[in-house]
Amino acid sequence: MKPIKDFARQLGASISLDESLIVRKENRYFLINESLKKLIKKDFFYVGTYLGKIKNDKFFPSFSLLEMIAERKANKIIVDKKTEWLFICGRDIFKQGIIKVMGSKRKGDYTLILNQHNECLGFSKIMHNLNGEKSGLAVKNISDIGDFLRREA
Amino acid sequence: MSGKEFFVSRYEKLGWKYENVKPKQAIRINVINTKKADAIKRLQASEIEFEKIPFLENGYWICHSKFSVGATSEYLLGLYSIQEAAAQIPTTLFTELKDKTVLDACAAPGGKTVQLADLMHNTGAIIALDVKRQRLTALSNQLERCRVKNTIAYYMDARQASQLKMMFDRILLDVPCSGNFATDKDWFSRRTIKDVEKNAKLQREILTEAAEILKDDGEIVYSTCSLEPEENELNIEWVIKNLNLQVEKMNCYGEKAPTNIFRKQLDSSIENCRRMWPGQTQGFFVCKLKKRVDAL
Repeated sequence: MKPIKDFARQLGASISLDESLIVRKENRYFLINESLKKLIKKDFFYVGTYLGKIKNDKFFPSFSLLEMIAERKANKIIVDKKTEWLFICGRDIFKQGIIKVMGSKRKGDYTLILNQHNECLGFSKIMHNLNGEKSGLAVKNISDIGDFLRREA
Repeated sequence: MSGKEFFVSRYEKLGWKYENVKPKQAIRINVINTKKADAIKRLQASEIEFEKIPFLENGYWICHSKFSVGATSEYLLGLYSIQEAAAQIPTTLFTELKDKTVLDACAAPGGKTVQLADLMHNTGAIIALDVKRQRLTALSNQLERCRVKNTIAYYMDARQASQLKMMFDRILLDVPCSGNFATDKDWFSRRTIKDVEKNAKLQREILTEAAEILKDDGEIVYSTCSLEPEENELNIEWVIKNLNLQVEKMNCYGEKAPTNIFRKQLDSSIENCRRMWPGQTQGFFVCKLKKRVDAL
């Protein structure tokens, strides 16, 4: 599935899903298993694992997909507890909250944000080269799991 | 026939003296996503005070928290769900859920669907139905947050479930009901006996449909958060008389359901159902049904 592969590539990852187990409902994509494949009817509302949606030709990943990518080799930043909380509140990340960087440190690249338990909290864009000494705002929040609460509001 | 006095006098006739209670907030650890001990450690580190619910394997009452337990990263990562204690009971009454085909007939907002997936270890398949599209969106969010992988959700009225042309091993009927005063402060001023009777009729229609699509060795768990016998014991009496189903014994928290309702004597097997008066939990009723042996 090209949009998913392309998205994973932006995070420095490679993902290969069985195309025969990906189903589309309008603009949303889902990953199913063989049991669900036997049972599913075309008028479903939701099925299996939600992968993401396409809106205005742009792919918006689900948190399940981000988690799948996080299990692979990819650009990742691990943040401290305080930064974790601020990030899920929608805030950007300051350099002092970063514990570890894996993969790209280059300005403009995308990276997953993980907590100290290696759980994926969302993804971000690197705002300036993380190799440098520069402190302050380092990573811009693109999407975080606090979205589950914001959807309900 | 409405108002607090009317309903409270009915509860007294059923053997319960009214008291105004507010059930404690409860959570349930999603063991598909975390080890219970790890989740407990993390909650303790967050200074959330909680205590084990004695009649639930994975349920905990929240005693004190400085912040909303629905706004922690552990919650957003699906390590636990917020689910009232009594509402955690119905899905635990099924025997063996792994690899089964399960119908959650009135599924939204999805707390019990997630719990089913947890008990099934994401195996088999859950077919989750709801009649309100907006509520299906809430269900979908829960499924995504809690990393449920074995569910197909349809926008469908439970009374039309046979249109799926499937037979089910397990059917959860957590039916739409009149609710109870413990979770709705305006309950007494909003509800009339007519609402109760209307809901009871809808519930019987859902039970009828479920009986049609239950496998011979299948199980139905029926639950409401209503205290009104029309939606509970009297509906089960109707089931025994009109559908080929029988009430099963179960090991479950709660009082034996009364079998004499407003001087009407009911089938004695109805005492195997459980009634929970508001107190430790909200008001609740639960019953397990199987096909009658002589009807197979």
